Parts: sequence; structure tokens; C-alpha cells
Amino acid sequence: MWTTVLVSGITLGSFYTLVALGFALIFGVTHTFNLAHGELIVFAGYVAYWMWKTYGVSLLLTFPAAILATLVLCLILQRLFSRLREPMEMNSIVLSFGLAILLQNGMLFFFSGDYRLIRVPLLNQRIHLPGLSLSYGQFTLLTISLLVLALTYVLLHHTYLGKALRATIQDRESAALAGINVRGMGILAFAIGAVLIGLAGPLFGSIHYLYPTAGLQATLIAVTITIFAGVGQIRTLILGGWILGFAESCTVVLLGASWRELVSAIMLLTLLALRPHGILGREEQ
Amino acid sequence: MTREQPTSAPMKHLPLAHMVLLLGLAILLALPLLSGGNDYILQVFTHALLLAILALAWNILAISGSISLGHAAFFGVGAYTSGLLSLESGVSPWATIPLAGFAAAVIALGVWLFCRRLRGAYFALATLAFVEIPRVLTDNWDSLTRGSLGLVGLPGLPGLRLGPLYFDIGASSIGSYYFVLVFGLLLLATVTLILRSNLGLALQAIREEETAAASLGIRVQGYRLLALLLSALFSGITGACYAHLVHYIEPGMVYGLHFSAIPVIFAICGGRFTIVGPALAALVLYPLDQFVFHPLLPAGHEFLYGAVIVLAILFLPSGFWGQLRKGQFVSIKTGSIE
Amino acid sequence: MSLLRLEALSKRFGEHWALKEIDFDLEEGEIVGLVGPNGAGKTTLFNLITGRHKPSSGRVWFEGKDITFYRPHEIQRYGISRTFQSSRPFARMRVLENVVVGRIFSGKFHLFPHTEDTNMARQLLELVGLAHKEDALAGELTLSERRRLDLARALATEPKLLLLDEVVAGFSPLAVKQAAELVQRARERGVTLFIVDHFMSLSLTVSDRLLALDHGEKIAEGKPQEVMRNRKVIRAYLGTRHDDEAQSAER
Ligand SMILES: Nc1ncnc2c1ncn2[C@@H]1O[C@H](COP(=O)(O)OP(=O)(O)O)[C@@H](O)[C@H]1O
Ligand SMILES: [Mg+2]
Repeated sequence: MWTTVLVSGITLGSFYTLVALGFALIFGVTHTFNLAHGELIVFAGYVAYWMWKTYGVSLLLTFPAAILATLVLCLILQRLFSRLREPMEMNSIVLSFGLAILLQNGMLFFFSGDYRLIRVPLLNQRIHLPGLSLSYGQFTLLTISLLVLALTYVLLHHTYLGKALRATIQDRESAALAGINVRGMGILAFAIGAVLIGLAGPLFGSIHYLYPTAGLQATLIAVTITIFAGVGQIRTLILGGWILGFAESCTVVLLGASWRELVSAIMLLTLLALRPHGILGREEQ
Repeated sequence: MTREQPTSAPMKHLPLAHMVLLLGLAILLALPLLSGGNDYILQVFTHALLLAILALAWNILAISGSISLGHAAFFGVGAYTSGLLSLESGVSPWATIPLAGFAAAVIALGVWLFCRRLRGAYFALATLAFVEIPRVLTDNWDSLTRGSLGLVGLPGLPGLRLGPLYFDIGASSIGSYYFVLVFGLLLLATVTLILRSNLGLALQAIREEETAAASLGIRVQGYRLLALLLSALFSGITGACYAHLVHYIEPGMVYGLHFSAIPVIFAICGGRFTIVGPALAALVLYPLDQFVFHPLLPAGHEFLYGAVIVLAILFLPSGFWGQLRKGQFVSIKTGSIE
Repeated sequence: MSLLRLEALSKRFGEHWALKEIDFDLEEGEIVGLVGPNGAGKTTLFNLITGRHKPSSGRVWFEGKDITFYRPHEIQRYGISRTFQSSRPFARMRVLENVVVGRIFSGKFHLFPHTEDTNMARQLLELVGLAHKEDALAGELTLSERRRLDLARALATEPKLLLLDEVVAGFSPLAVKQAAELVQRARERGVTLFIVDHFMSLSLTVSDRLLALDHGEKIAEGKPQEVMRNRKVIRAYLGTRHDDEAQSAER
């Protein structure tokens, strides 16, 4: 049984890392806490659901549309966030809180409050390997998540733009002095974030019911993993995602599925209590 | 804030502000007449008043500089405490409502445990996460809370007899309306008193410059905790009143994002550096939502709240009441609520 | 018994020693200047005395009491107040309220401000020359006005010991002279003063003694003229460029 828990923990955790990655990247580069992150994921999920339902497009083929839709939305949001002043973290929280409400109501209008799921029967079939068994769904989730994480890693570490992004995350002032266009990096971060959200959304819609207020949980997950990891390190993000995924799987097995939502909240509260100055660690002198 | 002050330049907008307030109060007092016996109008305003009270309570904490995104925790615990006590033991809601306030304050101690050392954005995130604890507990602890089924058939607010006068309160829309109005005015008076007292000075000083406040002898953590407790106490009482007014609660409703978001929206749109701003915003926006946007747009009418907070932070961060009283409060630059 | 006694006070930030084994005594009624180049550890010393930072080792004694590990507001109640290098007014409160806050919380708490609190605050605003601004918001003051507000606010607590951190940085010679008068008047009220003054513009004229720091170490102490002639002090000052000032201005 514990291998099952482990497998589902790691699968879920990898997906959670994907959910958090866009959030962490945007936060790292622009210091924006985008509380509408989960709503964006749900939105991308709805786009995929709509394509799948009305045109019978297969799940994988919905990705481009979901990505495109989130990209447009994220670039609009970026314009709004860029008008905020310091303290960026607090102001962006309040602004994005409002944006989240806007998005929720927009989705309620277009997709109604009903629970929707992108049902792909194949995903429920099981693959049997020596010593463990997992579903196609888990397998797909794991593969896509890890693949995207790996690609992002390569992008950040082995391309010029990625290095510029990382330099901006480390220290905006020095990056600006080194001739990096910090504003441009902010837009780029939102764009890459949008792609990641566009990838996470359809996956979300295939494993979890979509409804307009489903985003809060995803936001909490993203915040938790980001606070766990600090900014900049994909490896630590994955570790955080796995710990959270594993903790949730254990909770579901030991206490029941209805306790799952408590896990990320408690983990976030504990992390914050231990790290009161937050990620940037800007302890006042 | 300091006494004997009505002098000098910055007061020049005050007459207008006073007129608005007096007119508003007159309308509220006469509303049962103005509404021509229309129960729906009264119910909407009763609810608007409850939300105004919640926003006032929220602002006690915000005055000390901490923005909470999780006041639904206090509201919900208050609603459940009073609801369960009155259902299970048959005690009058008049006894259980104050207890609900205390229960919410106890929950606030739990928040304090986690958030003691947090400021600004991190405090806000922690409160957002904290709501999940009472919500999931209420949802799952079936034997105590009846779980996700919620509480049905809660007793209404009993009538009160004061000498020869009898107030029917829960029995009619007018009674409920006046009860909530009186509660709101009392809380408004309390908040005014707090803000004009030295306690209010301490809270504002902590908000503006914590380090300097401590260096002047202000017990920073003590006052922050006190603000949190007071805010939670009143939010809990509000939740309890809500429960007895609507007779039905369930975890997803009273712990939902709605009751966390509403006070933030109203306080920031109304002006969180003002006393009445948050309440005024509630009394304007909620009826606007119910009378105009709800009929137009049954699904998604609450986009109004999202829109106003986005607009407020981008263009009017001191809130509309704060703006009207410019000169009373600092001209804050746009794009920032801090 | 000296008013303030620092005993082998040290502070380490990570690997970096901001202060090393500082011993110093301050007598009641004195005005002592704390000088040294930027980064010498002057502000850090104030932070240790006022409880903002805890020392890595060593002790702070005030009126014979060990206050090393007291919290800032407790230390204030014993009679130590300070101003900050980058002035920290309560920006969205009125100038008068700023000073009233200083007055109210240092003594016994009462729930509503008394008229005498306001009157005293007005007198202090008069003293620092801000009486005409009492209704302005503190955030709208100029830098030199803010510094004077800081001073009034700190004086309102009626401290026994007042620590001033770079109160005259960026002031014109005339303003420095006015500040010197203020300091003298504070002393006449019975306040002992410890003044950080990087450029020695103020401390040379008003101080009874100087304490000079460099790289966290005490390099000299004594009469101002003696300290000024001290070779280590001269070398410490010549070794630093004055445009460092800008870098540490925010501390
Ligand atoms: N909170 C802090 N964290 C890390 N280093 C600090 C902190 N405060 C001061 N320092 C360091 O301690 C040294 C002394 O600083 P400071 O006391 O501000 O000098 P001064 O006031 O004499 O210019 C400097 O090297 C500074 O970088
Ligand atoms: Mg200094």
C-alpha cells in the first residue's frame, strides 16, 4: 500500500511543482504575489474542457488553445501589475485578490457553477509494472510534469534569456546594471508563467473537477511550494512539491480525502512561522 | 485625533462629509418607511449592514497595519458557535452570540500563534491559509458540527422587552433591520472611540513605523494582538447574528472566500484609513450589487466586487471616503494601498 | 555609578564583526559624541543599547541595571530614547500626533489623551521650530523638518538618555548651529546625550567627550580636541572616502 501512496504522492507532487513553477517564476522576477494564479489554471482548464466538449478535441490537442488563451490574459495582467508601487508583495496581493474575484465571476458567467471534468477513459486504465501499478492518468501527469520541468530547467540554465531571468531573480539592481532589461524580464516571466499555467490547466481539468472557485486550492499549493523553495531553484521546488504531494497522499489514506485540503494550509502556516521574513528575507536593518 | 482640534485648514471638506453622513443616517433610519413595506429591500439592507459591520471589525486590525484575507475564520466560528449552542442546548441566542464572539477571539489566538512574527504580505497569506483549518475541521467533525450538511432551522433572534417597550427583532424584517442597524451604530461608536483614544494612536503608530513606535515605549506585539482580538471578537458576533438571521449555515458558506474578501473590498474601496469609509462602501456596493447587477447578470454579478477593488487600488488607493476627506489623510499615491 | 555602561559589547553579523569588545561609560549630564567613518559600527552600537539587536556578547548596564536583553519598549520605559539615522516619522499621522505618541506611551498609560499631553507636545514643537506645522501630515515634511520632528518626539518621552543618530547629516552650517542650541537646551532639561556624528560638525562644538570607532573597534576616547589629534582617528577618516555617505544613508 505504501508504494501506492508513494507513487501517487510523487505523481501529484510533480504536478504541484508544475502548478507552482509559473507562480514562483513570476514572483521571483517581479515580486508579484499573484493570488489569481489558481483561477488562471482553472480558466485554462475550462478552455480545454470547452474544446474537448464542443469539438471533441483530444486532451493533448487542447494545450495550444489553453496556452494561447492564458498568454493573452497574463499579458493583460502584467500591464496591471506593472502599475503597482512598492511594497510590491502586499499591493499585488490585494490587486490579484480582486482579479481572482473577477475571473471567478467571469467563469461563473461563461461556464456556470456546475462541476466539470475532462473525462478521458483511457486515463483510468492501469499499467502494471513489477512491484507497482499506476494508472495511465498518473503516468501522463508524471511524464508531462517532469518533461515541462526539465524543459524549463534547460531554458533557465542554458539559454541567454534564461540566464538573464535568473540574474534578475537573484538581484534586480545588479541585473539592471549589467544591461539586462528588467521590465522586459518581467513581461517574459509572465509569458513563460502563462505557458506553464496553460499546460497545468488542462491537466488539472482531467484529474480534478472544474468549478469557478476551484482555484483557491491551486493558489495555496503554489504559494506553499514557492515559500518552501525560496526563489530560483527548480530542484527545491520539486522537493517541495513532492513533500506536499506525499503528505497529501498520506493524509488521504490515513484520514480520508476530505482532510486533504488542510495539508497545504498547515504546511504554509508552518513555513511562514519558521520564516517570518519571507522568501526575499529582507530583514530590516 | 487629538482633542480640541476643529481648527485650521484641512477641515474645509468636512461640512460636505458631515452632510453626506447625516443624510446617510437619515435614510437608514427612515428606510422601513421609504421602502414602502417592501421586505426584499429591507432584507438587502439588513445584509448590507451586517457586511458593513464586518468591514468595520476588519478595519480595527487593518488600522494596526495588518491586512487579513481570512476573516471568514472568525465569522464562521462565530456563526457555528452560536448556531450549535442554541440548537443543541436551546439557550437563547442572546446568550450564545457573545459566546460566539469569545470563541472567535480564541481562534484569533490560534492565528496569533502562527502570525505573530509576520507582517504585510506574509501576514495576509497566512490568514488566507488559516481559514482552511476551521473550515476543514467543521466539515469533518460530523459528531460535533453535523459536517457539511450544515445547521438547519437555527432559532431566530427572540424579541426583547425593555420596560413597556417590546421589540420583535427576529420576527419581522423591520425588527431585524433595526436590530442590525443599532448594532452597527454601536460598533461604529466603539471603533470611533478606539481610534480616538490612545489605543488608536498606538495602533496607527505601529502601522506607520513599527520600529519607531517601539522606541517610543509602545508595546508593539501587545497592541497588535489586542487589535486582532477585538477585530475577531466583533467579526465572530457578526457571524453569529448572521446565522440567526438567515437560520441556515454550512461550512462552505460561512468559511467561504466571500466573507474573507468582502471586508477587504469594502474597507479598501471605502478608505481603510478612515472610520466610516468601510461601512459606507458596504452600504453602497452591496445594494448596488443586489438591485442592479444581480438582476442583469444572475451568474457572475459579483464581478462588481473584483472590479471595484482593482479600480480602487489602481486609481483611488485611499478609498472614496478617504478621497473625499483629502487633507484629513495623506494624499497617497496611486498603485499602492500601503 | 555611571548612567550607561557598555561592557565588552560585541556584535557579529554572519562572519562580519560589526562591533568588537566595546567598553565605555557615560556619566549623567554628559554630552558624548560617537564618531567614526561609515560602517564603523555607530548605528549598530545604538541598536544594541536600545534593544533592536541583541549583542553577540557583552553587557549593557543602565543606572546599575542589566538591560542587555530587554526589549525596545521596555528599555524605553527605563529612560532611553533615540532617533533614527533615516528619520522614521509616522507619515500618515499629524505632526502634533507624532509628538503626542512619544509623550503618552513612555509614562503610565491612560486611555484618552489629556490636554496637558497636547500642550507639552506643542511646547516641544515650538522648541524645535515646527509649531506652525502641527496640523500637517508628518509624511509631507522636508528632511530637516523630519529630523526635528524625530527630536521632538524623542524628547517627549522625557528620556534620561537620548541617542541621536546623525541628526545633522545634510544640514546647512546654520541649521547645525541651531541643532547645537537644541542639544544644549535638551541638556538643560536634564537629558544626557549620546550623539552619532559622522562629520563631527555637531559633536565638536557641543560634546564633552568623544568616542571614536573604526571597523567595530574603539580607537580613541577623550576630550574632543585630543581625539581629533589622535593618529588612528585621522588615519581612519583619511582612509575613507566621503562619498561612502550615500551608500549607508539608509541604515
Ligand atoms: N542588520 C545588519 N545585518 C548585517 N550587517 C549589518 C547590519 N547592520 C549593520 N551591519 C554592518 O555592520 C557594520 C556597521 O554598520 P553601522 O553600525 O550601520 O555603521 P555606521 O553607523 O557607523 O555607519 C557595517 O559593515 C554594516 O554593513
Ligand atoms: Mg550609521
